[in-house]
Amino acid sequence: MTFIIHFLFFLYSFMIISSYIILGIISVFETVEYMKKNKFVNYNKILSSNISPSISIIAPAYNESLNIIENVRSLLSSHYANYDVIIVNDGSKDDSLEKLILAYSLIPVDFLINEQIPTQPLRNGIYKSTNPAFEKLIVVDKENGGKADALNMGLNISTNKYVACIDVDCLLIEDALLKLVKPFLETTDRDVIAAGGVIRIANSCVIKQGKLLDVNLPEKMLEKGQILEYLRAFLLGRMAWSRLNGLLVISGAFGLFDKKIAIEVGGYDTNTVGEDMEIIVRMRRYMEEKKLKYKVAYIPDPLCWTEAPDNYKIFISQRNRWTRGTIETLRKHRKIGFNRKYSSMGTLSYPYWFLFERMAPIVEVLGVIYFSYLIFHNQVRWDYTIAFILLAYLFTVLFSIAAIISEELTYHQYKKKGTGFKMIMIAFLEPFVIHPFILYAAIVGNKDYYFNKKKKWGAMTRKGMAKA
Amino acid sequence: MKKIVLAEDNSMLSMLLKFRLEKEGYTLLIAENGKETIELIEEHNPELILTDIMMPYISGLEVISHVRNKLNNQTPIIVFSASGQEEIVLKAFKLGATDFMSKPFSPNELVNRVKKILR
Amino acid sequence: MLDYNYFIENFEKSPLIIQVVWAFIMTIIFFIIIITIYLKYLRSFLRANEKLKNKIEKEYETLVINYLYAGDETDKISSEQQSIIEQLKSNIFETFRRNILISTLLKLSYEISGEMAESLHRLYIQTGLLDYSLSKLKSRKWNIIADGIRELTLFHVKEVQEQVKIHINHPKTEVRSAMQLYLVNLFHFEGLDFLNNITTPISEWDQIQLLEVLQLHTNQRVTSINLWLKSSNESVVFFALKLAKIYNQYGVKDELIALLDHKNIKIRIEVIHLLSYLNIIDVKTILKNKFKELTLEEQIAFFEMMENLYEMTDKPFVMEHILNTNFEIKFSALKILRNLNIEEFNRFKNLTVEPEFVRIVKYIESN
Repeated sequence: MTFIIHFLFFLYSFMIISSYIILGIISVFETVEYMKKNKFVNYNKILSSNISPSISIIAPAYNESLNIIENVRSLLSSHYANYDVIIVNDGSKDDSLEKLILAYSLIPVDFLINEQIPTQPLRNGIYKSTNPAFEKLIVVDKENGGKADALNMGLNISTNKYVACIDVDCLLIEDALLKLVKPFLETTDRDVIAAGGVIRIANSCVIKQGKLLDVNLPEKMLEKGQILEYLRAFLLGRMAWSRLNGLLVISGAFGLFDKKIAIEVGGYDTNTVGEDMEIIVRMRRYMEEKKLKYKVAYIPDPLCWTEAPDNYKIFISQRNRWTRGTIETLRKHRKIGFNRKYSSMGTLSYPYWFLFERMAPIVEVLGVIYFSYLIFHNQVRWDYTIAFILLAYLFTVLFSIAAIISEELTYHQYKKKGTGFKMIMIAFLEPFVIHPFILYAAIVGNKDYYFNKKKKWGAMTRKGMAKA
Repeated sequence: MKKIVLAEDNSMLSMLLKFRLEKEGYTLLIAENGKETIELIEEHNPELILTDIMMPYISGLEVISHVRNKLNNQTPIIVFSASGQEEIVLKAFKLGATDFMSKPFSPNELVNRVKKILR
Repeated sequence: MLDYNYFIENFEKSPLIIQVVWAFIMTIIFFIIIITIYLKYLRSFLRANEKLKNKIEKEYETLVINYLYAGDETDKISSEQQSIIEQLKSNIFETFRRNILISTLLKLSYEISGEMAESLHRLYIQTGLLDYSLSKLKSRKWNIIADGIRELTLFHVKEVQEQVKIHINHPKTEVRSAMQLYLVNLFHFEGLDFLNNITTPISEWDQIQLLEVLQLHTNQRVTSINLWLKSSNESVVFFALKLAKIYNQYGVKDELIALLDHKNIKIRIEVIHLLSYLNIIDVKTILKNKFKELTLEEQIAFFEMMENLYEMTDKPFVMEHILNTNFEIKFSALKILRNLNIEEFNRFKNLTVEPEFVRIVKYIESN
C-alpha cells in the first residue's frame, strides 16, 4: 500500500517536472523563431493603413472614477488607423460617467443595438463626443451586470471585425493592437479565433501621460514574486502552448478576438468568475465541433502592463477567484477532457490543465497530510524526504532562473543595475514566501466552490468587477 | 525672427527640419509629444505650428482642437500624416488645419510651404 | 572532517535511488551556479551594449544630418559630404556598428522623400553598405536573406533585381514577402507580375503592405487585373478585389459577376461588397433571383448593397423582408422602405409588436 502511494506521488512529480522541461524547451524554440520573424517588421506601414481591419477596444469600467479620464485617453492614443474605443460603464455608483461627459464633451446619441447576446439594459444610454478629435470614443452606460455582461454589451455594440477586450486600468503599449492583430492577418492556412500577449506587472513602474517611462522592480516580496511567476508562465509556458495550439486561456487583461465567432458562441458567460478562460474554451470547442481549422495565437511581446495586488488579502482573493474560474470552466466543458474528438485540446491541453493546474494544489495538500501522518507515526525516511524535497526545490529555482534568462535575452525590461541579483534572490525565496499563499488561496477556492455557493454567485452580482 | 513649434517624435527628422528651417531664418521649438506641444504653444505663441498627427497621449488632432477652440488662436497649422490617412486628414481640416503633408515628404517642399505661409 | 566522512559513508550505504537523486541535486546546483554567473555577465553585457549603442547612434545621427545638410541642391557630392562618407566607411567593419548605421539611415528614410532621400540612398551606396546587403542575399539563413532584401528595398537599389528574384519560391514566407515588397516598392505595378504565377498564399498582412506601397505612387497606370481575378490562388483573387476597389476598376465587371459563383464564400461576400461599392446595378437582379440559395452572410451583404443601390422597382422584394428573422436584413429592408416611400413605411410600421421590429422602427423614425 505505502509503496503504491509513494509511487503515485513520485509519478505525479515526475510528470509535472518533465512537462515543465518540455514546455520550457518548446517555448525557447518558439520565441527564437518569433524574434527572428519580427525583428524588422515595419509596423508603421500597417498602422496608418485604412485597409487594415477594424478593431473595437472594449473596456468595462466599474467605479473607476479615480483614473478613468487618464485611462481612456491612453486607450485613445493607440497607434492604429482603424479602431474605436467602447467604454462600458457597468452601473458604476461613482461619478465616472459625469467625469467622462465633461472631459470628452460627450452627448447622448441614438444607437440601434443588435442585441445578439442578452445583457442587462442600458441605464443612461450611449454617448459620443462632439469633438472630432475624440471621434473614436463610444461610452455606454448600463445597469450593473458584472464584467462578462459589460463585455457582452460591448460585443453587441461593436461594428468592427475584431474586438480587443481589456481591463480599463491596463496600460497598453502604443502598437499593442497592431502587434496583436498581426497573427490574425498573417496566418493563411487556418482561422485565428483569438490572440493574447504577455501581461506585465506595472507596480512601481513610472507611467506618465499614458506612457511607460521607467520599468522598476517593486520592493515588496509579494510583488516581486508575482513578477517572477508571470515571467515563468508567459515566457516558458504559454509560448509552448501556442506552438502546440493548445492555449486554453488568454488573460482577461488584454486579448483580441474574432468578433463573429465570439458572438456565435454566445459571448462571455456571466455565470462564471473565470469568463476569460471559459470563452476561449467555448470558442475552441465550437471550432472543433464544426471541424474548422483554427488557432489561438499568442505573442511574447509585452503589450499590456497592469497593477498586480500588493497585499496578501487582495492577492489571496484574486487567486481564489482564478481557482474557482478554472474549476468552473473545466467542469462545464468536461466533455472535452480525454476525448479524441477534440484533437489536441481533448488529449493534451485539457488533461494538462486538469492534472497539473486544477489538481496540483490538492495533490500537494494530500502530500502534506500524508507526510504529517508519517511523522506522527514516526515512519518518515528522512534520507528520502530530504533528498526529494531538495531536488524539487532546486528544480523550481533553476526553472525560475531559466525564465529570467529568457527575459534578458528577449525583452530585457528590467535594466537597472542590481536587479539581476534581486531576481535570483526571489527565485530562491519565492517557494517559501509566495507559494504557500497561492496554495492556501487555491484550497480556499476549492472549498468555496464546493461548499460555499453563495459566495460563488455573490461575487459577481454585488461586487461587479473587483480590480484584478 | 519668426517662431515655429515643431511636434515630431522622430528625433532625426525633427533635427533635420530644425537645421533646414533655421537656415531660412526661423526659430524652431521642438516638442516630442502632444502635451509638450501645447505647453510650447501656450508659452511662446509661435507664428506657425507643424505637428505630426500620430503622437503619444495627446494626438495632433487634439493639438489642433486645443489651439483653435480652447486658445481661440488662428495660428497656421501644418499637419504631417502617414500616407493613406485621408480620413484623419479630413478631420484635421475640419478642426482647422491649414495644410497637410503626407509622409514621407520632401523637406525642401516643406520649407517652400512654410515660406509661403509665413511670407 | 568527521562530518564529511560520515556523510560519504551514509551516502554509500544509501539505496541506489537516493544516490541518483543526489546526483541530480549536484547537477542542478552546478547548473544554477553556471547560469547565475552567465546572468550576471549577460546583464552587464546588455547594459554596456545599450550604452555604447546609444552613443554611436547619436554620433551617426549627427553625421548623417550634417551630411544631408552639407549637400548643395545638385546631385554632386560636396567635399564636406565626402569626408563624412570616408569617416563612416572606416567605421563600419564591425557588424554591430554597421547595423546601427543602417537603422539610423532607415529611421530617416521612412519619413522623407525627394532630393534628401536620394542623397540618403547615395550615402548608403558610397559607404559600402550596399555590398554588405548584397552579401546577405547569399546567406544560408533565411532571416539574413530577408534582411538583405529589406535593406535593398528601403534604399531603392533597382539594379540587383535579378539577384533578388531568385528567391521568388523560397520556402520561408518572410523571404518571399520581402521579395514581393522589393518588387512593388521599386517597380510599382510592373512589380506585381509575380502574381501571374505565384502558387503560395499571400497573407492579408502582406497584401496590406503591398497596397500601401502602391498607394504611395499615385500617378501610376493600373495594370490589368482580369487575370488575377481568375487566379486559382485564392489570395491572389482577394488581392485583385482590393485593387479593383482602390482603383475603381469598373472594367472587370464580368469577371466580378463570374466570381459570385466562386466556391469560397469569403470571396463571394467580398465580391458583393465590391459590386455595391462600384455601383454595378445590374447585379441586383441576378442576386435577387437566387436570393434564397444564398447563405445568410451573402444575404446580409446583398442587403447592404440594396441600401446603396435601391430603386422603386425593388419595393416588392424589400417588402418581403421587413419581417426577416435576421436583424441586419430586417433593419436594411425597413430603412430602404422608408426611403422609397414614407407613407408605405408608416402603413407597415405597426405590423407587429415584436420588440426588435419596434426598436428598429423607432430608431428609423428618429433618424
